[in-house]
Amino acid sequence: MVTQQIARPAAINTEHLLEPQWAEVTSITKEINDVSTYWLKFTDPAIQKAYTFEPGQFNMLYMPGFGESAISICSDSNDHSKIGHSVRFVGNVTNAIGRLKVGDVIGLRGPFGTYWPMKELEGKDVFISCGGIGLPPLRPAIYHILHNREKYGKVTLLYGARTPADLMYTNEFDDWRKANIDVQVTVDRGDSSWTGRVGVVPMWFYQFRFDSRKTAVLTCGPEIMIHFVIYEALARRIPLESIFVSMERNMKCGQGSCGHCQLGPYFICKDGPVFRFDAIQPFFNVEEF
Amino acid sequence: MPNDHKPEIGSTIVIQKETFNAILSRLKEKGYETIGPRVKNDTLIYAPIEQMDDLPRGYITEQDAARFHLKHTGHSRYFDAIPGAQSWKQFLFPPRAELFALRKVNNLWEASTPETKTPSYAFIGVRACELAAIQIQDNIFMRSDFNDPIYRARRERVFILTVDCMYPAGTCFCVSMETGPRVKAGFDLNLTELEDVFLLTVGSEIARDLLKGIPFELASAFLLRNADQGLERAASQMGRKLDISNLPDLILNNLDHPHWQEVGARCLSCTNCTQVCPTCFCWDATDEMSLDGKETHRERVWDSCFNPGYSYQAGGNTRPTIRSRYRQWLSHKLGTWKQQNGTLGCVGCGRCITWCPAEIDLTKEIPMLQEEAR
Amino acid sequence: MSDVLQETFKELQKIPWFQELEKKHLEKLASVTALRHVRADEVLFHEGDKEDCLYIVLSGRIALEIFIPHRGKIRIYTVEPQDVFGWSSVTPVVHQRTAGATAVVDGLIACIDSEKLRKICEEDHDLGYMVMRRLANVVASRLLVTRLQLLDMFAHPESQNAK
Repeated sequence: MVTQQIARPAAINTEHLLEPQWAEVTSITKEINDVSTYWLKFTDPAIQKAYTFEPGQFNMLYMPGFGESAISICSDSNDHSKIGHSVRFVGNVTNAIGRLKVGDVIGLRGPFGTYWPMKELEGKDVFISCGGIGLPPLRPAIYHILHNREKYGKVTLLYGARTPADLMYTNEFDDWRKANIDVQVTVDRGDSSWTGRVGVVPMWFYQFRFDSRKTAVLTCGPEIMIHFVIYEALARRIPLESIFVSMERNMKCGQGSCGHCQLGPYFICKDGPVFRFDAIQPFFNVEEF
Repeated sequence: MPNDHKPEIGSTIVIQKETFNAILSRLKEKGYETIGPRVKNDTLIYAPIEQMDDLPRGYITEQDAARFHLKHTGHSRYFDAIPGAQSWKQFLFPPRAELFALRKVNNLWEASTPETKTPSYAFIGVRACELAAIQIQDNIFMRSDFNDPIYRARRERVFILTVDCMYPAGTCFCVSMETGPRVKAGFDLNLTELEDVFLLTVGSEIARDLLKGIPFELASAFLLRNADQGLERAASQMGRKLDISNLPDLILNNLDHPHWQEVGARCLSCTNCTQVCPTCFCWDATDEMSLDGKETHRERVWDSCFNPGYSYQAGGNTRPTIRSRYRQWLSHKLGTWKQQNGTLGCVGCGRCITWCPAEIDLTKEIPMLQEEAR
Repeated sequence: MSDVLQETFKELQKIPWFQELEKKHLEKLASVTALRHVRADEVLFHEGDKEDCLYIVLSGRIALEIFIPHRGKIRIYTVEPQDVFGWSSVTPVVHQRTAGATAVVDGLIACIDSEKLRKICEEDHDLGYMVMRRLANVVASRLLVTRLQLLDMFAHPESQNAK
């Protein structure tokens, strides 16, 4: 079995289990129908100053009385003034977050988990293939590339959503394109006013030329989409070791202790969420594992 | 023999059985809460004991799949009864533990951490398999990159008195799991019960100090041989056995095996096996909020991979069927645990077999995979 | 070869799945193919039309649409350069268009006369085999895309849409 190759974050020392720090909601950006971005700032400026994260990591957001939810960080890791989380309102905790107003406080623990191997990807072509709510954890990676554009080769973002109204961060696409990132967007279905692509994310691989020796594929989205993205990548002879996947399970403690987010030998909260594909391949097609 | 004489670490001494009361008293004097096996409501539990008379002298337990019977046979030994459903896990990793309380003051949450005194337990009568389970949980809760403050505080204070198992029960298979019946290392004191005397092997400086002034003699070669013979006999009388030579590969290579479906159809997903298992460590955190919404208590509680909500996330339930939940449990316990912690997650105590109401017996299920895998 | 034929031949040569054809086969294909410039919003065919062409997009983007009463036209698929549409015209049973096709932007498409294509494939089974093999591939990938759309990957598992 392959051992995990992705860098681990530094040790987390907690005096009191699960006790969060407190952060204030400084602004809320409505992204799409059921997703808004919450911009947070620790109430303690010293903590805000010391807080750093890597692209792909997540925080545990805590709503007292409701519980915690693992939410990936969608903001720029170079911006130390605020932390962004795009939250989809689907459960108890996230719906409670949805009732927050600017000025309210929320508990936060983190950052947790492995991250996109941005250092290792330097000099390579980066092909980012994601869908739906899978874009937020990749946005910090895109920001990192924007800040260090010369360090990366050809960079492509292939992003899909259910309908045009479900596409997130569309107002930033032009900026990304200006930085020579090939942004390609697709939807599962459109109406006559939609002039972009219609089809699913994996099918568009045929439109791109891959240099399999120097291309890395980063993917995040619904697990079923990830499956087909990987089939397409492998069909283009991208090695397993050049495919990076961000996985989702129900992370609860963030420290590889509570057991909930296990995938085979891994605790997704600490050994993931970002995996090099060869590490998880043995469990990838096992139903309900 | 001079009264302040202390036995050396690693030495085995012999004491008269009634002397053991003095050891219990000393533990209490030193501030330990002495916990041991006690008979209550026709079963065996772990609870505070004051003196030797509290121990289940004269009892045995008869155990088989879905069967536990505490029986008084009138023999003269204190530590023969193989434990019941409870394990020491409940003391180091409590089923409920308050984490913190929060109170809303002017739109902000103020935390107050409970001022609970960490108990100092002296475990009296830890079996070899149970000690192995504690060591496995040490690896889970006291890792280099994560320390569980609740577990660690309790674990660091605990005094462990182990006993060698002389009469294994019908669901025991510690020999297969290489954890018993002889206690090897990691105890403060190890007790071997012979017909008339106790042998005590000293495992720590704390135990050495504890024995200061207790009348003892070094165990003779005769008594040591007597103990060895008892343990050899015990090893040959295991009620169950399991071939672990091809684990974890056998399980990991058979995750789609039809047998999982077959077990899943019998399993009630009642979580008994995970609650009685001395190594199962999964937990959840819950909030209990006051009606006015201004106060909340956050607690840690035991969870189980058999609970439908265990693998539930916003995207749906990862393991919606009992088949997949049973497979998760066993493939973790006897499979992926090895990669996580370097050992398998089973110590061969047999509790999951005894306490499964559906008579699911992993020593029978694993060979099914084996046979059909051939 | 006439100039028009020459140009058609050159355009077809650029398409990866024609590259493994022998020159004589490609020439035959070029002889039944016409190049056509399309303008944005130009309708190539409507649902139900009896028009008989197999198309390959050389540049631009063609949307396939189905009209649903009360919901309007739904774009179910877009055809990008190198991709094929109208392939049902090559099958023996489909005699009318099952979806409409509209150019989204200006572009260039190759229109292969299906009746003539069937004829040259009948006459030369080696060519016929190559063409049908490629079309089978197109159909298979189209089927996969349809399945993934049908799965509605982005739907929340507990929403009504996903059930």
